[in-house]
Amino acid sequence: MAGFLQQLVEGLGAGAVYASLALALVLIYQFTGIVNFAQGEMAMFSTYIAWQFTVAGLPFWLALVLTLAVSFAGGMLIERIVIRPVEGAPELTVVIVTVGLFIFVNAAAGWIWTFLIKDFPNPFPGGAVEAGGLSVGYSTLGVLAVVAVVMGLLYLLFQHTKVGLGMRAVAANPDSARLVGIRVGWMLALGWGLAATVGAVSGILVAPLLFLEPNMMGGVLIYAFAAATLGGFDSPAGAVAGGLTVGVAETLAGAYVGFIGSDLKVGVPLAIILFVLLLRPQGLFGRAVVERV
Amino acid sequence: MSTDSFLTISDLSAGYGDARVLHGVNLSVGRGEICAILGPNGAGKTTLLRALSGAVWTRGSVRLDGAGLARRSPDAIARRGVAHVPEGRGTFMPLTVEENLRLGAFTRRGRGEVEADLDRIHGYFPVLKTRLRQVAGSLSGGEQQMLAIGRALMSRPRLLLLDEPSLGLAPLVTRELFRIVRTINEQERTTVVVVEQNAHLALDIAQQAHVLESGRIVLSGSADEIRADEQVAQSYLGYRV
Amino acid sequence: MRGPAEVTDGPARTDAPARGRALARSITPVRRRWIAVAVLLAVACSLPFQLVPFRVFQFTMVMVYAVALLGLNLLVGHAGQISLGHGAFFAVGAYAAAIMLDRWDLPYPLTLPIAAAVAFVLGLALGLPAVRLRGLYLALVTLAIAIFLVPLLKRFESVTGGSMGLTLAKPAPPAWTGLAEDQWLYFLTLAVTVLAFLLAHGLLRSRVGRALHAVRDNEAAAEVMGVRLPFYKTLAFAWSAMFAGAAGCVYTWVIGFVSPDSFVVTLSITLLAGIVVGGLGSFSGPLLGGLFVMFVPSISQDINDAAPGVIFGLLIIVVMYVAPTGLAGLAGRVARSTENILRKE
Repeated sequence: MAGFLQQLVEGLGAGAVYASLALALVLIYQFTGIVNFAQGEMAMFSTYIAWQFTVAGLPFWLALVLTLAVSFAGGMLIERIVIRPVEGAPELTVVIVTVGLFIFVNAAAGWIWTFLIKDFPNPFPGGAVEAGGLSVGYSTLGVLAVVAVVMGLLYLLFQHTKVGLGMRAVAANPDSARLVGIRVGWMLALGWGLAATVGAVSGILVAPLLFLEPNMMGGVLIYAFAAATLGGFDSPAGAVAGGLTVGVAETLAGAYVGFIGSDLKVGVPLAIILFVLLLRPQGLFGRAVVERV
Repeated sequence: MSTDSFLTISDLSAGYGDARVLHGVNLSVGRGEICAILGPNGAGKTTLLRALSGAVWTRGSVRLDGAGLARRSPDAIARRGVAHVPEGRGTFMPLTVEENLRLGAFTRRGRGEVEADLDRIHGYFPVLKTRLRQVAGSLSGGEQQMLAIGRALMSRPRLLLLDEPSLGLAPLVTRELFRIVRTINEQERTTVVVVEQNAHLALDIAQQAHVLESGRIVLSGSADEIRADEQVAQSYLGYRV
Repeated sequence: MRGPAEVTDGPARTDAPARGRALARSITPVRRRWIAVAVLLAVACSLPFQLVPFRVFQFTMVMVYAVALLGLNLLVGHAGQISLGHGAFFAVGAYAAAIMLDRWDLPYPLTLPIAAAVAFVLGLALGLPAVRLRGLYLALVTLAIAIFLVPLLKRFESVTGGSMGLTLAKPAPPAWTGLAEDQWLYFLTLAVTVLAFLLAHGLLRSRVGRALHAVRDNEAAAEVMGVRLPFYKTLAFAWSAMFAGAAGCVYTWVIGFVSPDSFVVTLSITLLAGIVVGGLGSFSGPLLGGLFVMFVPSISQDINDAAPGVIFGLLIIVVMYVAPTGLAGLAGRVARSTENILRKE
């Protein structure tokens, strides 16, 4: 039983990371109906920026704040420059453009920082809290706390600020949002900026667990897709719940299903994506959409 | 009416993509007036309002109190004091009634004023006050229309555009709604352009009216003149003079 | 509609205008296409005798990619569905062939139809759930499949050789041909490529092709019009998987080695880049895409390891903005404007 709880806690820790990237995906999907295939790569790039800051001698938390600011601006710029021209284009076109962005950002990071792996400092102390036979690492607790803080801040932003209200209005009905004088284009850019920021957090959380390298986020992206699919692509709360669920499912499957083991764990998100899409395509928390001819 | 023209539309053409719907519309509305636009389905009434609020392409000129509106973006036009209540109301369904109303005042500053305006709207539409925390999607059709008009008023518009406010509403509700629009117009001196199928109602509250057919104005005059016109009576009012 | 070629193309104008005009008139578009194909084939047949073995190998690989892109083009360009996991079908074909050659010592010509069939059946099986997915989700699922395949291949070591992969003997040229190994492989691949193009051509001209176009242009409307949507979407997925599988099989012949790390998700994404840049929905798109996928990396790698990726990524985005029909579309435009010049003279 203790062993099971231990796995559960570790699953939650992993899940929190997926949740944060899923949150980034959902932020963009809500406003634009786009699934940003480059989200993971953007997060990876942000993580390199943070690494560069720490290498330059900045204390970790200052590097974090600077990185988030740069990521926010970068996300907005990408929306203005790359996504703007295909706004309203067929889904296929938009997906291909974000895949192009995926390849470009990945390669650009390799060009700038090479494909050699780098150590990324862990902001949390080693060691663990021991309680009732359970051992919860500080870094697991730290990751969970960070994701909770991000969630809380987003909640405050959307529910209690005017800008947040405007963004929700754009997500609900862009045409009406224009009619009440909201600059919809800027709100979309803001959405991308926010998503890039939240994504950066997930990259920075992942990097100490894996190694920092340009392909770091490829696997995480699939888990985040599974999380967002499970929670519903239009529900931020669902994305977080989905992320935690996927993390736990993956850890338990790896530990208790002998056939899966650690190397086939990546089949878990694939299975989740398939099952959810076939049984309940809108996800657990999402709204069903009727398509028009 | 030409002596104090508040909204002046000259030679306005508009449409969607390759399709041109309006062909050189001219009309002007005096400050504080209610102007009714009548006409059959497909005449371009909705397109006219959409042209005024910048949602379709336009050629020609639109002036509001002397300042040009044509070819500005919808949000820029909204910030210049034009509030458009679109056909089908355009409420933000997943948001609460209060959030919908506050969005109406999105472009305004000054918290105190916004709170005062909320009270003012509740005065016009008491039912909204009881529904503040509900999501807009759960309201009845009439309540949604009230919400949409209330949201428009929250921006303190200089020009209010109403597109088929009676659509899908019970006759009693519609009458009430038009009464309120009249009150708003009288109390706040808001200039109103209303597109309406129900010509009786529209002519009752309007000072002047225009009949639009196939994208052109075919008849203009005071509400009484239009009501007295034989053609209009037959086509839109359902009786002979 | 003045293309750049109209302004720059001089020679045809100064040469012999009268003859040019007569020529242009006598060549109908259909006939012109066949002439182009014949010229292309002639060039293709002479290539291996003109080039050094390494170049011959590169052109062989261009054709391998072209066959895979032909399949992807069917799906993305003609049916409007997206796959970010076509590398997986390519890998399945490659491994199917490798296992048949390695375990059962089958003669290699037999491996082609079997590998293609395996990929087809797998495409059918995956296509069944996939057709219920909207475009976006199909992209998600196929990407996940491509990522999942690599650990799967490593896991079943007894069959697949695990991380070490399988090394095989390449098909040897029969003595009567007098060809070197690289030339023989080249011609084998050329034969498969021609076959694949003919097959794809036939497919698109059939009822299936028309149904696919209807699906691409407006899925919901096509359904209302009575196109049996799930059936054709599944079929498109299976056909395109089959082409990718066939390409994978030929890849195994040519390389003589398969390992999981040859089929990482990058392959799938590279294939998508190839068909987008080559030209979605066009007939020459897969060939141009193959050239692009083969030569851009090998040329640009000298600048930086990451240069191919940067170029791929940028080009995909730029192509989607300015020339959604890709290189094939540009080539078509150039050809048309050249012809216009001939006509006008």
